[in-house]
Amino acid sequence: MIPHLQIDGLSVVFRGDDEARILLDDISVSLNKGEILGLVGESGSGKSLLCRAVMGLLPSRQLQVTHGSVMIEGQVLDLAQMQTVRGRRIGMIFQNPTSHLDPVMRIGGQISEGLIHHKGLGVAAAKAEAIGLLTQVGFPDPERAYDSHAHQFSGGMRQRAMIAVALACDPEILIADEPTTALDVTIQAQILRLLMDLRDSRGLSIVLITHDLGVVAQTCDRIAVMRDGHVVEQGEKRALLAAPQHPYTQALIAAHPSVTTAGEHLPPDRAHQPVFELRDLEVRFAQGGGLLRKGKELRAVKAVSLRIWPGETVGIVGESGSGKSTLARAMLGLTPISSGKVVFDGLDLTQDRTATLRRLRSDAAMVFQDPFNSLNPRMTVGETLAEVLRSQGETPEAKIQPRVAELLEMVGLDRSFATRRPRSLSGGQCQRAGIARALAVNPRVIIADECVAALDVTIQAQIVDLFRQLTAHSGLTLIFIAHDLAIVRNLCERVVVMHYGEVVEDGTSQQVFDHPKTAYTAALIAAIPDIDPDRPINGGTPALNQPELTL
Amino acid sequence: MHRYRFVLFRPLQFLPVLFGISVVTFVLVRLIPGDPARILLGTRATPTAIANIRAQYGLDEPMWTQYLYFLKNLGAGEMGKSTLYKIDVLRLIATRVEPTLALVLAGVVLALLIAVPFAAISARRQGTVADHTVRVLSTAGIGFPSFWLGAMLIILFSVKLDWLPVSGYGETLFDKLTHLVLPGLTIALSLSAVLTRSLRAGMVAGLQSDIATAARARGMSENIVFWRHVVPNALVPTINLLAINIGWLIGGTVVVESVFALPGLGQLMVRGIFSRDYMVVQGVALTFAVATVLINFVADIITVALDPRIEL
Repeated sequence: MIPHLQIDGLSVVFRGDDEARILLDDISVSLNKGEILGLVGESGSGKSLLCRAVMGLLPSRQLQVTHGSVMIEGQVLDLAQMQTVRGRRIGMIFQNPTSHLDPVMRIGGQISEGLIHHKGLGVAAAKAEAIGLLTQVGFPDPERAYDSHAHQFSGGMRQRAMIAVALACDPEILIADEPTTALDVTIQAQILRLLMDLRDSRGLSIVLITHDLGVVAQTCDRIAVMRDGHVVEQGEKRALLAAPQHPYTQALIAAHPSVTTAGEHLPPDRAHQPVFELRDLEVRFAQGGGLLRKGKELRAVKAVSLRIWPGETVGIVGESGSGKSTLARAMLGLTPISSGKVVFDGLDLTQDRTATLRRLRSDAAMVFQDPFNSLNPRMTVGETLAEVLRSQGETPEAKIQPRVAELLEMVGLDRSFATRRPRSLSGGQCQRAGIARALAVNPRVIIADECVAALDVTIQAQIVDLFRQLTAHSGLTLIFIAHDLAIVRNLCERVVVMHYGEVVEDGTSQQVFDHPKTAYTAALIAAIPDIDPDRPINGGTPALNQPELTL
Repeated sequence: MHRYRFVLFRPLQFLPVLFGISVVTFVLVRLIPGDPARILLGTRATPTAIANIRAQYGLDEPMWTQYLYFLKNLGAGEMGKSTLYKIDVLRLIATRVEPTLALVLAGVVLALLIAVPFAAISARRQGTVADHTVRVLSTAGIGFPSFWLGAMLIILFSVKLDWLPVSGYGETLFDKLTHLVLPGLTIALSLSAVLTRSLRAGMVAGLQSDIATAARARGMSENIVFWRHVVPNALVPTINLLAINIGWLIGGTVVVESVFALPGLGQLMVRGIFSRDYMVVQGVALTFAVATVLINFVADIITVALDPRIEL
C-alpha cells in the first residue's frame, strides 16, 4: 500500500551567520490513509518544525530543507508549488486558536475565504457551505457563529472554529499541532473526539502532534517519537507502548503522570491548629462598568470553607476559570477579600492584616506558573536568592553564600548555577530556581500555582519528585494548584476540586479518584488522558459533552 | 451594539475637559506681558484713551469677572469682540476655518497616500534596498522642521520649476487646490514619516504572526495574507497614532500657514498673539482644543469599528 503522506529522509538546517545547525536529521515518517499518526516529543524535539517543513511554511529564511522529499500518494511535492497543496490537500490546525484566528475578521469570513479562493464558490454558496461546516464541528447556532468574532468564544469553541477553517477546502490530510494543549481536560477530550469523528466521517488522515503520550495512546493508530530532531522510534501504538525499544521512549512512558507512583506521606498533624483556615471566603471582582455605569460582579470564589493542616499536601484542581488561582492569591493576601475569613496560623487576615501579612511573608512562599518570567532577568540566581535572605534579615551576611549553595543543592541544582542568569537556564532549571527562592524564606507552607504546567513531561516528573522529597521528610505544607489531575493524584494526599468558584469535592486522593462524589469530578477524572490505549477517551457526562458557548 | 454605547456617554466627559481648557487658555493669554489697549492705540496714546478702550472691552474688570462674561457670551453663541478686527471672534473664526480644515485634510490624505504604500513595500521586502531607503527617509522625515521643509518646497516647485504658486489661497476650487499642494505636502511629509514607521512595524509583526501563518496554511496567496489579514490588524494602532498626530498637526498649522501665507486659523492666532487680542487667542485655542477632542473621539469610533474586541 502506498502511504497517504510520506516524509522521506527530510533534513532541515539552520544557517546562522557563522554556524549551521541540523534541526531535523533524516526524518522518515509515513501516514496511511484514514490513519491518525501521533507525533510525540518534548519541546525542541522538532515535531512542529517537521510539520512546518512539510507545509513549506518554515518560519525563517535561515531554515532550509537540505535533503529529502514529501510525497502524497507517491507523488513528490514540489516545494515551490506548495500554495496549491496547502489548505486544499493538507490542512493545518494550531495549538493556540486565539492567536491563529484573525481577531478582526468574522469566523465565517475566514472559512468562506478558503472556499472562495480554492473552490471558486460564490459568496452565498460559500456562506451556506461554511455554515454546514460550523454545524459539523459542533456549533449549536452555526448561523450566529458565522457572524461572530473569535474573541466571543471560549477556547474550546475557538479550536472548533479553527478546525472548521482548516476543513473548508476539504483537505485529505490534517496536521494538528498540539490542538488541545491550551484547553481544559474535558474540552480536550471533546476536541479529540471531534477529530476522531471527522477522521471517520470524512476519511481524513491526521498527523497529531502532542507532548502528551496519553493523548496519543487514546486517539492514534501509530506513534512516532521524536527527540532532538530525530525520530527515535515509530510503530503501531500498542506494540510501541507495550514494549518501547528506545530508552527515551521508556523514560517518556515512565514519566507520564497517569503512571501512578504512590508517594509516602507523613500523616498530617491534626492535633494542633490548622495552618490555613478559610471560612465562607468570597472574592468578587467588578466587571465592566465605568464612570457612570455600574458593571456586573464576578464571584470568582464563592463561600469556600477549608482547613489545611500542617504537613499536608493538598492539590487544588479545577478547570480554567474555576477560581483556584484566585483562592490561592486570597490566601496569601495578594487579592482583596470580599467577605469571609482567612486565618493563617491563628492570625486573622481580615482583622489584623498587617501582622498576618508579616507572618505570611515569612512563613509562606509562592511558586509561580511561568518559571522564566517570575525571575528577574538581570539578576543571577545567586543574587535572587541572596536578596530574599537579606530582606528576611535572619541570615547573617557571612552565612548567605553557604545558604545559597545549600538551597541550590536542595532543589537539585549545582552550586555553579548561583552565577547564572535566567536566560541561560532551561525551563526546568528556572522552575528549580523558583522553588529555591520559595524555600529561601524557610517556609512552613508553599503554594505552587500551576508550577509545572509550562514544563515538559519528563521535567514535570522531576519537579513533582522534588516536591515529593521536600514534603516527605519535613513538616512542609504544600498547596499544589493544577489543572492536571494526574499530577495531583501522584503528588497529593488530599484533593480539593473547584468548579465555578465553589469547592465541589474535598477528600483524600484515593477517595476522590476512586469514588468521586460529584458528576463534575467524575467527568474531570474520566477526561484525563491515559497512557492505556484501551481506555477510550471520554468527555465525561452527557451534560458536559455539550459544547459550551459564550456569546 | 452595546459596544457603541460610549458614543452617547463620552461627550459628557468632554464638558469638564473643555471647561479646563477654557480656564487655562483664558488665564495664559492674560499672563503674557503687554496691554492690548496700548498695542492697539500705539505708543503715543493718552492714558484716557487707553482707559476708554480697556473699559470698552471689559479689560478693567477682575479676571474672574471677565471669565464669567466669556462664559455668558459662549452661552449666547459668541466669543467676545476682537480688539483688532472689531467683530465677534466666532464669526471671525467661521471665515477663517476653511483653509485650515482643507490644509489638515490635505495633509492627512497625502500622508496616508505616502505612508501606506511605502510601509507595505518596506514590510514586504524586509532587508532589501527598498526597505532601507524607506526607513532612512522616514527617520529623516521626522527630523525636518516644517518651516524649513516648506521653504525648500517653495524654492523647488515654485521658484525653480514654477509649477505651483508660492503662497496664499485662491478663489476658485482649482485655484485653492493648487495653493494647498505645497503646504499639504509639508505637513504630509513629516506626518507620513511617523505613520510609515508605525505601519511598517505593525506589518512586519503581522507578516510573522500566527494569523498570517494560519492563512498561509490554508493556501492563501501572500497578497491575500497581506491585504486581508495583516493590514487590517496593523491599522488599528495606527489610527490612534494618527489621531494624536492630528492634534499636534492642528497646532502645527500655525507655522505652516505663516510660511505659506494661508489665511487660516493658525495665522489668525499668530496675529492675535502679537496684538494681545485676548478674545481671538482664547477663541482660536478653544476651537483647536474642541477639534482635537473631537478627532480623538472619531478615532475611538473608528477603532471600535475596526477591532471587534475593543470595548470603550
